[in-house]
Amino acid sequence: MVAPPNQPSLLEVSFRYDVTGGSTQLIRTRWVAGGLVLLATAICAHLLKLPLPELPLYATGLAVLAYNGAFVWASRRAYTPDVAALLKRTRWIVAAQVTLDWLALAAFVHWTGGVTSPAIPFLLVHLLIVSIVLPRWLPYLYVGLGMALLAAIAFLEGAGILPHYTVIPGLPADLHTNPVWIAGVLGFTLVAAAGIASLTVNIMAQLRQREDRINALFATTQAVTSATNITALLDRMARTVAEALGARGAAIHLLDETSDALTVAAVYGLSQSYLARNSLELSRGAVDGELMAGLPVVVHDIASDPRIRHARQVADEGLRSLLAVPVIGRSKPLGILCVYSDQPDRFTLADADFLMAIGRQSANALENALVFESLQQAEQARAEFVQVVTHELRAPVAGSQTLLRTMMRGLAGELNEQQRDLLSRIEHRLDMLMELVNDLLALAASKTLDVEEELKRQPLQPVLRHIVDRVSREAEAKGVQLQLDLPFEVLSVRATEVGLTRIFDNLIGNAIKYTPSGGRVCVRVVERPAGVVITVSDTGIGIPEEDIPRLFEGFFRARNAKESGIIGTGLGLNIVKQIVDRFGGMISVSSVLGQGTTFKVTLQRASPADEADEAA
Amino acid sequence: MAKILIVDDDPDIVLATRLALEDAGHEVVEAKNGTEGLARVKVDRPDLIILDVMMDSTTEGFQLALKLRSPDPSSEYAQFSNIPILMLTAIHSTTPLRFGPDEDYLPVDDFVDKPIDPVELVKKVEALLHPEKSK
Repeated sequence: MVAPPNQPSLLEVSFRYDVTGGSTQLIRTRWVAGGLVLLATAICAHLLKLPLPELPLYATGLAVLAYNGAFVWASRRAYTPDVAALLKRTRWIVAAQVTLDWLALAAFVHWTGGVTSPAIPFLLVHLLIVSIVLPRWLPYLYVGLGMALLAAIAFLEGAGILPHYTVIPGLPADLHTNPVWIAGVLGFTLVAAAGIASLTVNIMAQLRQREDRINALFATTQAVTSATNITALLDRMARTVAEALGARGAAIHLLDETSDALTVAAVYGLSQSYLARNSLELSRGAVDGELMAGLPVVVHDIASDPRIRHARQVADEGLRSLLAVPVIGRSKPLGILCVYSDQPDRFTLADADFLMAIGRQSANALENALVFESLQQAEQARAEFVQVVTHELRAPVAGSQTLLRTMMRGLAGELNEQQRDLLSRIEHRLDMLMELVNDLLALAASKTLDVEEELKRQPLQPVLRHIVDRVSREAEAKGVQLQLDLPFEVLSVRATEVGLTRIFDNLIGNAIKYTPSGGRVCVRVVERPAGVVITVSDTGIGIPEEDIPRLFEGFFRARNAKESGIIGTGLGLNIVKQIVDRFGGMISVSSVLGQGTTFKVTLQRASPADEADEAA
Repeated sequence: MAKILIVDDDPDIVLATRLALEDAGHEVVEAKNGTEGLARVKVDRPDLIILDVMMDSTTEGFQLALKLRSPDPSSEYAQFSNIPILMLTAIHSTTPLRFGPDEDYLPVDDFVDKPIDPVELVKKVEALLHPEKSK
């Protein structure tokens, strides 16, 4: 129905960029941090002459740079085009980074004075970055672990288990054992850490939501413009919208033009039994008064809102709140977009604004798709009408021609010269009429072809042989030599059998028709990089140069064809070109007046993926 | 010489074929639709049947041919399944059924395209009546 199973939902995609971006950020910052540790240690020890434990600090700095290098290597090795796997691996790398940082920071703080260290604020800087990168409640976990570590250092140093280094001269040597000092440092650091984590988590949540909204808007626009038909379009829209808002389900109701009723056109996330009811949950008043006036409807509690109909069934489905927006086209409303949640008070005004934006975006594309569909239906109806009518036209013409031929054969009595002449003129007019009717029928059929049939893999040679067999009698009677030059291996093209037959019936038939006795018609098939090329060439009357550009127009006949007395409607080549276009092929013509004409048709080779035409 | 049944709802076609066949010395009986046609087959026991593929409905002739040539040995028309059938068609039109001189598709023996040429019609009829004479 919608996206293939291994494609991540759009929320997952946005999170992916977050995590990989965050990981890269951490690594970059760490280069600086590691370098600074080394630099600061050197400056403090030698320039400021502070009593720092140099070696351990250099070791820590180098260790940080070393494991940072390892993470760079690991990130590169972890790359895979499988999004889900990449996500998982990146998360592990981030977790490893944060853990090692946590240890490194602990070491750094310990060697710069423990609970008396002036470097404690760096813990907060690291917390800030971590809160940006880690999702949901994980930053709070980090706060807890960080504080635990600080407390552990304070305790261990205070109890004398770990050595203490007083880095700042002038500080009392036993400050680190002073309970008031310890409590103060831990207390304020905890408050600061909690504050930073809380603020950052909030900001990140909002940022992510905004990004999700933008992605959802983009995804909906994409879905709406790339869907091949209305059903797919609406299904995708419903799903995208539900996911973007993190809602339980969504539904799109379209307005029926004639009956003014709303029917469900697409649904996502609701049960089958609920769908069987098939009517909008909002009262008529809410629809007409609010939605059709262009306003969103937010229902915070379905159970108590008077605008809800069928409250019991809605509650049974587990839906507690609802958000509905109108989808308004250029000139009139198209329908309603509804989103449902199983929590009350789920939807805010910001959500309503967002959904309205989606509604506006989709309205245009939806309108176009609806218009296109009704156009196609009208075209189909027209083509069917033409077919029926031309069938009705053929019968009386065929009947008249049959009677005429019966008379011409003398079966109704001897004919005198003049009677024969008049009958012959009638016969000629009827033949022209019949040809026109046949061509109109072909034209209508080719349009129906458009709407109905799928292109399949068609073997070419059998069709051509069949046609040549059929016309060979006519060619022989006329004294025109008919030659067929086919490659041995069967070539298949993307086409329909009826279409192929019509194209070459016409081209070969024309070639014979316009070639005088003693001439030659040659049909040749070759395979080229561009596709399969079929040439039909004759030694006939040719086409004047000035008529060639108009040759494929409907009802156009070249000057010399009209003057020749040969019957033709001018529709044949028009039909041929339409079918060739439909097949994605090309047709060209070259001719020398009085010497002959060559038509060249190039058709797409069938690929192994194309379905075979079973009837062929 | 032979008794030929023509089943067609178009009176002009019936008239034209009657003139052509009677001129060639045959006896002609006619039926206006499928039901009448089947009844006539039982009563008149013709030597050859000429069917129009489309009459009232687009498949009436087709259905008639199928009934006459039913593979079911207990069918009431089993004894008539050997009578040669000539079908009148309009090959250039796009009918919903697949046609063509391919015997796999229709249980008929030959086709004549409309508009009918009386000479061609008689030739084909004679070929079906006397297969040993045709090349």
